[in-house]
Amino acid sequence: MKNVALISLSCLLLSSCSGVQSVLDTAGKDASVLAHLFWVLLVGAIVLWLLMNGLFFYVTRIEPRELSRRAAEALVIGGGIVFPFILLAGLIAYALSIMPDQRAAGDGVVVRVTGEQWWWRVEYDLGDGSAPIVSANEIRLPVDHRTEIKLGANKVIHSFWVPALAGKMDMFPGRETRMAVEPEKTGIFRGQCAEFCGESHALMAFQTVVLEQDEFEQWLERERQDAVQPTEAVPRQGEQLFVSEGCGACHTIRGTEAQGNLGPDLTHVGSRKSLGAGILPPTAEAFSNWTRHTGAIKPGVKMPSFAHLSDRQIEALGQYLEALK
Amino acid sequence: MAKNRENEEVRTFAEEADSLWLITFACSIWAIHFVVCYGAAAFVCAKWSSNPAVITNMRVGLGIISVLALCAVSYIGWRSWVQWDFLDDYDYEHDLAKEEHRHEFLGHASFLLSVISFIGVIYVSLPILFLETCQ
Repeated sequence: MKNVALISLSCLLLSSCSGVQSVLDTAGKDASVLAHLFWVLLVGAIVLWLLMNGLFFYVTRIEPRELSRRAAEALVIGGGIVFPFILLAGLIAYALSIMPDQRAAGDGVVVRVTGEQWWWRVEYDLGDGSAPIVSANEIRLPVDHRTEIKLGANKVIHSFWVPALAGKMDMFPGRETRMAVEPEKTGIFRGQCAEFCGESHALMAFQTVVLEQDEFEQWLERERQDAVQPTEAVPRQGEQLFVSEGCGACHTIRGTEAQGNLGPDLTHVGSRKSLGAGILPPTAEAFSNWTRHTGAIKPGVKMPSFAHLSDRQIEALGQYLEALK
Repeated sequence: MAKNRENEEVRTFAEEADSLWLITFACSIWAIHFVVCYGAAAFVCAKWSSNPAVITNMRVGLGIISVLALCAVSYIGWRSWVQWDFLDDYDYEHDLAKEEHRHEFLGHASFLLSVISFIGVIYVSLPILFLETCQ
């Protein structure tokens, strides 16, 4: 029974070594270097552990006699000062030598991410003088390109972390920090706020979608466009509700009169891979649930719930938002 | 009579009073070196992070300061080693209330602190070698 529990626990722990949010299952250049650093440190720690315990075993069980003074001095000075000094100096030098590459600047698009409670404001600056393309709760990046990410925060601290792509970087109100990521594989990788920022901190995640360069450019072009107006009856009713319920006071949907800036930009919210900052699937049903049970799904969130709407109205709103591709 | 004894005690402990200061020097150099390195890096990076020449000058300056700090710690280590006088009697224990024991204990402690400070200064200096920018 004990063995079964141990094996189950081991499997559970090993399962965290892969997947979309693992520092060991890397998809970016910076994360690969960090994973390598982890393995070097782990192997070093294991060797050190075996040496120290082996030595302890040797002097207490195999050869339990008093050491000569000279041998004891050699052991204390060699093992206690010289060896750790050289080992730690080597490890520090190795860690410092990889830092400049980790901090290297990006080229091309600059992504500006602002941590809010509890979602991510995302802006793509193309560097051509045009207005930034605003999005939220999802970051799209071109593969094999180094993209500069500028980080800020509103009101409280957060930390930006996509474990599969790079190390984490803290975000502070009133101060800009930066990092760059260089994805080496296409796919979807999960990011998570890594600094406690309030009661829904654990529910502040996002998806990072890595695309081929041409796909990325096409996506940017689509993302720049205004929202597509719904043609079907139910989503159209949802659009009218969105306006009449005052959602536009907090949210922007470009191409409509909704120009609020307090909450996430919803212009293309239906095309995102998740809803509510990485916690719900992007389905019409999830949109409806979110609108009705906002505070239950994400405690402390500023958005009020719209539970007073009828089931039909909530469904229409959900279909409208899901149609914002 | 009492005054003579007092004078004798002052003379006896005069060197130990100096040795107490000796104990503090190596760690103080390490601490000052730490503050100067981090303070200079923070200041230069806040003011001139986009000017490579200023950053290079800072690294050279901090490198010189680090070498000086290591020399000073080494000198204090040497003074302490002499005071410990280990090679005379190979004595690690200084637990008696005798002048010689006090004298050697303070030298011994100061020597060990110098070793730690020397290593500390080297570790604090390593980023100067590797980090070329403020990024």
